[in-house]
Amino acid sequence: MSRFNEPQTHASQRPVAIKPSDGKAGVADFPPGTTGAAVSGTPRRFGTKEAMRSITVLKAAERHLAQMEGKYRGLLEAAPDAMIVVNEAGEIVLLNLQAEKQFGYRRDELLGQKVTNIIPEGFAERLVADDLRSAEDAVSQQIGTGIELTALRKDGSQFPIEIMLSPLESAEGILVTAAIRDISVRKAAEEHLGQMESRYRGLLEAAPDAMVVVNQSGEIVLLNVQAERRFGYRRDELLGQKVTNIIPIGFAERLVADDLRSAEDALAQQIGTGIELIALRKDGSEFPIELMLSPLESSEGILVTAAIRDISVRKASEEHLAQMEGRYRGLLEAAPDAMVVVNQVGEIVLLNLQAEKQFGYRRDELLGQKVTNIIPIGFAERLLADDLRSAEDALAQQIGMGIELTGRRKDGSEFPIELMLSPLESAEGTLVTAAIRNISVRRDAEKYLAQMEGRYRGLLEAAPDAMVVVNQGGEIVLLNLQAEKQFGYRRNELLGQRVKNIIPEGFAERLIADGLRSAEDALAQQIGTGIELHGRRKDGSEFPIELMLSPLGSAEGILVTAAIRDITTRKKAEAHLLQKMEELNRSNEELEQFANIASHDLQEPLRMVASYTQLLARRYKGRLDSDADEFIAFAVDGANRMHRLIQDLLTYSRVGSQGKDLVEISSEEALQQALLNLRGAIEEGGALVTHDELPVVLADEVQLTQLFQNLVGNAIKYQSPGVPQIHITAARNGGKKWVFSVKDNGLGIDPQYFERIFGMFQRLHKREEFAGAGIGLAICKKIVERHGGSISVESQPGQGSTFSFALAGSEKKS
Amino acid sequence: MKDIGEEGLPLEVLLVEDSPGDVRLTREAFRDAGRAINLKVASDGVEAMAVLRREGPHVHAIRPDLILLDLNLPKMDGREVLACIKADTGLKTIPTVVLSASSAQVDIEKSYQLQANCYFTKPVQLDEFDSLVKSITDFWLTKVKLPRPALTDDPKIGSDPVKRTAARLSAR
Repeated sequence: MSRFNEPQTHASQRPVAIKPSDGKAGVADFPPGTTGAAVSGTPRRFGTKEAMRSITVLKAAERHLAQMEGKYRGLLEAAPDAMIVVNEAGEIVLLNLQAEKQFGYRRDELLGQKVTNIIPEGFAERLVADDLRSAEDAVSQQIGTGIELTALRKDGSQFPIEIMLSPLESAEGILVTAAIRDISVRKAAEEHLGQMESRYRGLLEAAPDAMVVVNQSGEIVLLNVQAERRFGYRRDELLGQKVTNIIPIGFAERLVADDLRSAEDALAQQIGTGIELIALRKDGSEFPIELMLSPLESSEGILVTAAIRDISVRKASEEHLAQMEGRYRGLLEAAPDAMVVVNQVGEIVLLNLQAEKQFGYRRDELLGQKVTNIIPIGFAERLLADDLRSAEDALAQQIGMGIELTGRRKDGSEFPIELMLSPLESAEGTLVTAAIRNISVRRDAEKYLAQMEGRYRGLLEAAPDAMVVVNQGGEIVLLNLQAEKQFGYRRNELLGQRVKNIIPEGFAERLIADGLRSAEDALAQQIGTGIELHGRRKDGSEFPIELMLSPLGSAEGILVTAAIRDITTRKKAEAHLLQKMEELNRSNEELEQFANIASHDLQEPLRMVASYTQLLARRYKGRLDSDADEFIAFAVDGANRMHRLIQDLLTYSRVGSQGKDLVEISSEEALQQALLNLRGAIEEGGALVTHDELPVVLADEVQLTQLFQNLVGNAIKYQSPGVPQIHITAARNGGKKWVFSVKDNGLGIDPQYFERIFGMFQRLHKREEFAGAGIGLAICKKIVERHGGSISVESQPGQGSTFSFALAGSEKKS
Repeated sequence: MKDIGEEGLPLEVLLVEDSPGDVRLTREAFRDAGRAINLKVASDGVEAMAVLRREGPHVHAIRPDLILLDLNLPKMDGREVLACIKADTGLKTIPTVVLSASSAQVDIEKSYQLQANCYFTKPVQLDEFDSLVKSITDFWLTKVKLPRPALTDDPKIGSDPVKRTAARLSAR
């Protein structure tokens, strides 16, 4: 809201440049006619018909003059201006010496003459009434007003005049007294002033600051375009207005004299001094300004030129600066550590609250004091150059490193501190900021840690294995008694040594990052995994070790605790076991080979026995006695049984010796082959063999066929009355294995025989009841075991049997 | 039924067998099969090859129409004999039947790899053996057409049928 919306009661509307001033404050108006000569009196009316040009008139004038003489001539002649008195006919009836001088006439040459002779235009006309106004009116309109006209001298030259008219009642009617001032000089001065003003205005407008010129009454008489812009007014809105409208407080007051000083004094005090005030824009917003005042003498008295600088930005930057310092100080004060800033000579130049607290001094007790008062040893020395290094070097060496020193409080007590130094460039040279941390607590913690370590050491020493703790550089930083014993070193021979000295290969490498992984990754891969390596004793002998690594976060980075177990005994046991296993395998192989060879080689003589006893029986049956026939029959039967045993033994041994690699095969196809092989038996027994979809498995196809053949064959063989029904299924057992089941509705088996039926040559039935050597299920068991599975049976006598076996499956579905 | 081939000559069978019991059984079986053939016996591989190549004392040996070969033989086993026969241009056309006690797949496989004409496992049962020999007789010595070696393959005998018969008889 602009204050200009309020009624302006005090504002003057007159042009300032030509308004006279008496030089005194508060005086603004002048009564008209003051510039006129000392002509006064009460105006009277003139008769208009009494105008004449005659002796009579002259006489009367002389008379009048004579009358006037005493009273006015002194005044008239003393007037600085030319004065003429003109009657209504435009004839000069009176004049003074100045008029004679100005116009170059003698008095008698002008008296009675038309005034147009000396003022050709603009005067006489004003005496004449026209249609619109009476002569009185015409004159009265001009009375009291300075009129600028051109006068004509006797020699014909012209000069500018200002005339002031005033009526003069006389016996001859109304006369007009004209005070005529030669304004040649003023005109020239005005012209000069105009030139000056345009120059001055150029300067004014070119000024970077808003400029307003204010008169003593506080009114704006001049302003520049910056002032318009800054305050948001048009020029004409500001001219003549009170300056308080744009600078409400602090400017106008300075123009006013009070009891103690004159206006000049008031102003003088402010001249040349920047005054910070608040300015007000047209829109009501405020902004900070700096005011520079300078006096300007003018015809209207002393004016004040005010250069107004918008200092918003400067204010803002000053504020920012103050804020920054506030913040910095805030930071300093907020720092958890005591902070002191020290100059190169070791004097404290700045400190924070914590510093006060920690050292027990008030701030002013420390400022300017030597820092050795609070840190007696080790700090100030670091600020000093010695022969070997410059102060900068001395400092640089310490920058960023914690230095442990002792601080001293005001009461003389000391406490452990850690010092962190950082350089601080300043106008006063390099200062050093020292962050001082009271490490009493940390010291205590370290002590506690040491206690803990003592306990930990107890554990370490109690460990059954050799333990070494290794840093990332591969150096042994801790070890236990067992480590000493195992490697044959004394403890101090190992501490700080490379772990490579005792574990030449495979450990240090694991601590090192390579291009593909970080040290942490490298380590992580090994953590918790036993690694078998070789340890080397002091005497150079090596022994097998198993290494268990675990990370140990510490102040020095990640350490690695290695538990080292001497696995010589285990290795020996393993080697022994391996040897035994090899022996066993060899023995098994030999056994199989033996079985194979034996059964093979047994075949030959057996065949002889069998063939010739049969030949005997064929050729001599009934030709010897009955005993001979019976004997021959037993011999033939024995040979046949032996033949079958040998065949079975051969088959059994071949499960292992002639088995093929396990490959992915269709178990369904194996079953189909088995059923094809059993076609005769199935038809003969009238059996109904069904199966579900069967999977692809990892198996030896020949053996899987044999397996199905034996199981299905048994199911048909041991049938109960009725149609033998056999169903084969396969199901996953949760893992990758498939469990096959061959279920029949046959005789069933008493659970007490479950174990026995899978043994070699185990029979549950008499030879007369069922043929067979009792090796079929033993072969089944051996086949399943060779496939990494197991076989079992579920059965009850008379309830049928279910033989189940598991085989490793394949990803493929059959 | 006559014990002669197409040319009216007796059939010649070479039995390579080291077991006298098997030799006798084979003879009995051939006899039971009703075919009187000339059964020449070699009791080891070396002798078998000497007979076939008519070397040493077997210089007058008659080329057999059929070879019955056991695998387990002293000196030179049946596989080597088989390999030698099938590698010999003059001998490889003679049908060579392996008659072994072994029923091992490796033996069967190996024999056929060496181009045995067929492989039999000697049955333990006498009846089965008889019927096997009868089958061999029926097939290899009756039904099968066999190549006759060129009469000029033995310069000493030539193509004279009388000389050939004489040679056969003398070799017996």
